[in-house]
Amino acid sequence: MDFKLTSDQESLVSAIDKIAQGFAAKPTDFHGFSLVSEAFERELEEGGYFDVATIPEFGHLGAAMVVERLARLPFTAEVALSLLVRSNLPGEWPRPLAVVERGRPGRFVATAKTILIIDGDAIRVLEPTRTQVERVESIFAYPMGRLASDANGTLLSRGEAATVRQWLRVALAAEASGLLEATVACVVDHITQRKQFGRPLGTFQALRHRMAECAVLAGGVKWLALKAAATADPADAALAAFHAQEAATRVVYDAHQMLAAMGMTLEHSLHLWTYRLKALISEQGGRGGQAAAVAQECFGGRVLV
Amino acid sequence: MDFTWDNEQRRFRATVRDFLATHLPHDWEAHAHGPGTAWQSAFSKRFCGQLAASGLLVPHWPARWGGRDADAWTAFILAEEMWEAGEPRGGQYMNVNWIGPTLMRFGTEAQQEAYIPPIARGETIWCQGFSEPEAGSDLASLRTRAEKTSEGRYSINGQKIWTSYASQADTCFLLARTSAGRNGISVFLVPMSTPGIIVRSIPSVIGEGDIHEVFFDNVEVPADAMLGAEGQAWEIARAALSMERVGIPRFAFATRMLHRAVESLQRAGRFEQGAIEQAARARAACEAARLYSYAIIDKRRHGVTIGAEASVARFATVAAERAVGEFVVEFLPEALSGGDPMLLAHHQRAIVAGIASGAAEIQLNLIATEFLGLPREPR
Repeated sequence: MDFKLTSDQESLVSAIDKIAQGFAAKPTDFHGFSLVSEAFERELEEGGYFDVATIPEFGHLGAAMVVERLARLPFTAEVALSLLVRSNLPGEWPRPLAVVERGRPGRFVATAKTILIIDGDAIRVLEPTRTQVERVESIFAYPMGRLASDANGTLLSRGEAATVRQWLRVALAAEASGLLEATVACVVDHITQRKQFGRPLGTFQALRHRMAECAVLAGGVKWLALKAAATADPADAALAAFHAQEAATRVVYDAHQMLAAMGMTLEHSLHLWTYRLKALISEQGGRGGQAAAVAQECFGGRVLV
Repeated sequence: MDFTWDNEQRRFRATVRDFLATHLPHDWEAHAHGPGTAWQSAFSKRFCGQLAASGLLVPHWPARWGGRDADAWTAFILAEEMWEAGEPRGGQYMNVNWIGPTLMRFGTEAQQEAYIPPIARGETIWCQGFSEPEAGSDLASLRTRAEKTSEGRYSINGQKIWTSYASQADTCFLLARTSAGRNGISVFLVPMSTPGIIVRSIPSVIGEGDIHEVFFDNVEVPADAMLGAEGQAWEIARAALSMERVGIPRFAFATRMLHRAVESLQRAGRFEQGAIEQAARARAACEAARLYSYAIIDKRRHGVTIGAEASVARFATVAAERAVGEFVVEFLPEALSGGDPMLLAHHQRAIVAGIASGAAEIQLNLIATEFLGLPREPR
């Protein structure tokens, strides 16, 4: 047990932070939901960062660190599935990846080269044609898309599907961890600056305590996500995803309460993180789905659902 | 970063488990596990003596005091296993966590010689005389006075309250006011047999003999009963509490009790949707608390100064205790009505998790200011 970063991990994190610097601010004229950048994608691609998990010095733990750090940015890209799920698929599949659950619109579906179609217990993998996908407008702060209902794909075995589900949970938790950290930082900044009744909002105990609790939840998600990536244990993955969705539900609400009307504007960046978190809250069966996974993996599977 | 235990750590954990399997009585779980009961205190002296003889009471202490200079992980693995078993060391966990180390840091040679060896042999109980009727979270407002007498001794008058283990304790780690103001508080090491000390047990929901009132009526102690310098109590207490806050792996017992409750529900065919979600919530909270605590221990092992993250770990632990406690109340209430003494013991410990060693709300204030960097509240 050693929580100090290795020199390889420090180098990786430092390189990612350097890339992140160029995308750390929302363009002032951007007043939308889905903030993407070809340059951001290109830098990550050219640096080989989408393959971090396959490099022994980094592995899935290094990949989770990358996902967590990049998720803090106002810009988004399909990072989590490429880094944490792709290497756990049977065979070679091109990125970007997307997930379609129960036929609903999903993140990055319109641009994905590989789509995981989840329908009940079954998971199929598909390389979609351009006519099978379409963009949809969405309040969620990701580029959202829809897959044609007749699209099929290669059916994964039960074991392969279980592995994919496990790494989808790790990916969700790692991404949520970065989003939560950015959300908390954003709120702390706001309530430090914003004054009411003659003093900063952050001096009022009612808000201080709520933010402190949010910070504890957010940090817990980070530790659980990193552990789940490191151990590759399905129980850790289920716990991480559950805690991520649980924390996100609470933190998103509190963050918007503290920013009040300012947090409702598209001028402010808050929605870029909170509406990504809301998208993640809705995935993989939500907390009920993760709870069933925790019951299965941690409590011995004797579940009566 | 590595989340796996090395071979030495695994071996040590196995050694502790073997010890517990060998030395816990077969009816251990049937006893009421109030940590301050007369039975528990007597048992702890026998059990801690056996731990000491096996080199498992204070392995993290310096060799001079009976330890082997083991690292912070060793101490924490030991504590995890003890708490998971229901803490058979009773109140003596406090001795090895912070009383001994505080004496090593601030005590005179004579104080160390007098007090540390009995702790290292596992034969003594201490109590912590901090809280008073008018001084709980606001510890600086304490009123118990220690006044110098014409013979150069100190005469102590006042009242402490919520004092754990007081009726069984041999010595009190006492805070008393020697002059006015925040820097006018000093620490005294007071034998509980000193004339003028009266202990009254307070009946409570957390078990027999756990909390007390302690009255000091012209209690005279020699000048060398003072630990550190006059007025140094704040610094000493902060150092002691920082060890205490992450020294108790409450999540270990909470996790075990959660699994125990779930197994009961599964056997009864009652582990259904509502219970499943609450159990997942509690299990995740326990794991988060575990990892937060590990992060602190890792910093301690690497010699890194620990700041407000100790409060973060503490609050995460309080949340975990609460989640497990509430799970049992909601889904397995019969456990608290004679059904399972261990689950009752957990419940009683869980409800004080956010109160003992500094209220959870004080931790939230520390997190807000020192961890998040929010501006301070006006006073």
